[in-house]
Amino acid sequence: MTDAAKQQDGDGGRLVIGIDLGTTNSLAAIRAGKDPHILRDKDADPLTPSMVCFHPDGRTLVGEAARQQRLVHPDRTVFSVKRLIGRSASESEKDMRELPYPIVAGDRDLPRIRVGEHEHSPEAISAMVLRELKATAEKALGQPVHEAVVTVPAWFDDAQRQATKDAAQLAGLECLRILNEPTAAALAYGLGGKNDGTVLVYDLGGGTFDVSILRIQDGVFRVLATAGDTHLGGDDFDQLLVQRILQTLPTRAGAEDPFVLQAVRSAAEGLKKRLSDEREATLELDLGERGDVALKVTRAEFEGAIAPLVQRTLDCVKSAVKDAELTLADIDDVVLVGGSTRIPMVRARLEALTGKAPHTDVDPDLAVALGAAIQADVLAGNDRSLLLLDVIPLSLGIETLGGTVQKLILRNSTIPTSVSEEFSTGVDDQTAVDLTIYQGERELAQDCRRLGHFKLRGIPPLPAGLPRIKVTFLVDADGVLRVTAREQRTGVEASIQIVPTFGLTRDEVRRMMLDSIENAQQDYVAREAIEARSKAEAMVRGTNKALQMAELPPDQTFAVHKAVKALQKLLDQGADTAALKAASDDLTKVTATIADDVISSAVTKALKEEQQP
Amino acid sequence: MIHVPSPDAFAVFGIRRTLDLDERELEQRYLKLSRDCHPDHNRSRDTDDCVAVLQRSAEINDAWKVLRDPWRRARALLEAESEGVLDRNKKLDPMFLADALELAEEVAFADADKKQQLTDKLKAALAKDYEALRRDVAAGDYDAAAKRVHEAHYHQKALQDLGAKA
Repeated sequence: MTDAAKQQDGDGGRLVIGIDLGTTNSLAAIRAGKDPHILRDKDADPLTPSMVCFHPDGRTLVGEAARQQRLVHPDRTVFSVKRLIGRSASESEKDMRELPYPIVAGDRDLPRIRVGEHEHSPEAISAMVLRELKATAEKALGQPVHEAVVTVPAWFDDAQRQATKDAAQLAGLECLRILNEPTAAALAYGLGGKNDGTVLVYDLGGGTFDVSILRIQDGVFRVLATAGDTHLGGDDFDQLLVQRILQTLPTRAGAEDPFVLQAVRSAAEGLKKRLSDEREATLELDLGERGDVALKVTRAEFEGAIAPLVQRTLDCVKSAVKDAELTLADIDDVVLVGGSTRIPMVRARLEALTGKAPHTDVDPDLAVALGAAIQADVLAGNDRSLLLLDVIPLSLGIETLGGTVQKLILRNSTIPTSVSEEFSTGVDDQTAVDLTIYQGERELAQDCRRLGHFKLRGIPPLPAGLPRIKVTFLVDADGVLRVTAREQRTGVEASIQIVPTFGLTRDEVRRMMLDSIENAQQDYVAREAIEARSKAEAMVRGTNKALQMAELPPDQTFAVHKAVKALQKLLDQGADTAALKAASDDLTKVTATIADDVISSAVTKALKEEQQP
Repeated sequence: MIHVPSPDAFAVFGIRRTLDLDERELEQRYLKLSRDCHPDHNRSRDTDDCVAVLQRSAEINDAWKVLRDPWRRARALLEAESEGVLDRNKKLDPMFLADALELAEEVAFADADKKQQLTDKLKAALAKDYEALRRDVAAGDYDAAAKRVHEAHYHQKALQDLGAKA
């Protein structure tokens, strides 16, 4: 490609946001200029709880509003769906037992969240959280947002990545890139070349654990190895305390009661947080007619309980260092990400292992979103100085005779990566070949995750063994597999039908998109409201500025003042789009009729400045 | 299932075919090619083009993996110079195989003291293998060079097994 063509493709000036879609909390950020910043409502908490409440009155509440309902409607408040996304119901059996809202096995053994009459896929719930973040971002930016970089745990497999992309699509966001969370954090940490070297990112979040080792050098962020566990995080620490609290309850019935379960969960979370600052913490919980809980837990007891889990994370650290062909002495810096790294024991054990005091300049709650915003900026074509080279976390393979898996692409290969294999037919005139793809490190297919089934069709009918079908397996920069096939003798492209084992089929995504046309209408209305509001605000500011600058006859000054005040009043009242538009038009008319065009040109100028930040 | 060989790694990097590469230069070359060809910097709405960009970027990553490892680099060089040479020279000297078998046994029963000693011995053997390989390649004797690669594989495997021992 020529340089000129590349620049055209670069297509700068696009608005792409970065989203950290967390197990517990989510947030969005943008990079405008050098440093990224978090997008939030004025003075609001930057973290949006990843929660959705289907209120009995018919409203769907998302984020903080949903969180406030979790004790009132524990069976209708959904959270931690990141533990379910891209997995089967049988795999989620433990989560289904521990989460207070009902989860059932649906079609193809996929987990479905049942609320009243309705069932929701984990993708649909995540889409609601993403939609909320999109709305928050649009409000903060004053303009519509259509594209995003969404982060996932580095250890997420193909199915979990694809499911997250589907969620973004359902939320009306084009997901330009699925970015690994520890890599995103490294971007935030290493921006500006201030921290070149070899860095270990330890990311212990609400539900997942990742460790990645990167080399940062002249704006290139190269992942050398990654390891982790998609079911290890703060939730699991809470769960240990939950068990402890449930044991003190007079009856075993509590464990089945969503109200008790949710109240105990919240209490456990609070207890855990207090134990990070205090040596011991007491809990007094009034469960009404279901009994009372009074409990004292020391930090030592808590640490004893979580020690095996913390050890698991340290084992991952060791294996990642080994996979990177390094020793712990080669690590220049250790970066902590995720709320669970606030636990003193986690820090102490990691420091004891690595011999380095963890780096704490980057806020562990915000680093991932800030990094996603940086990568979003790169993809928008605004920054050619940065380059991310990430890896695939788990090997990809194909089932061969006897139920073993032949590895095609090895874990920790830099992506994009590709490999081609040639297949043939076993019987005369065979026109289709089946391939089953697995992901994982084990030898036997039954021990790996079956990602899906590829059916190659349209093979020309030939004697057995004669067709030569070249199949190319390509892992793209999202870490998602793409398969293409071509018969070598005839050059016929074999068509590929993909049946994913987990997550949604393309048809299901399409149908859900159609279902959400109604929502799309709401989206449009919301966008229009945002636009009308920000335009009106700009007009008020612009006119006020112009009034100060221009010398006007008193009667005209009065007319303009009146129109501005009317518009300001509507803004203060939070008036609807139509009213705002009408009042804005009135103001335009007043300023336009003024003989001295100083004022209208000043307004126009001010408006222009407002719209070009 | 038959593996389809990847494109010549030297050609992908646009460098001369040689065993001895300056590692720093090679890395700089890799980073430059990545900057030029990575899909992050070459976004396009056209899907076909997008696949081409991905494919090119994948080739660069895969070639880097080959070139940075001296033995994989040697394999790539030999295949590029004489297609099928590695397959044609799989039959090794029975004397060598007997030695290799003995070595594998030593590794299997090595205790902690013996482990270090064996590691040093194997590393020295691999260095010698590479020296011999270099001579064969310089002399244009690719069949002999291919045999060296296969022999070295036994030493690499033994070293790997040794490392895996706790």
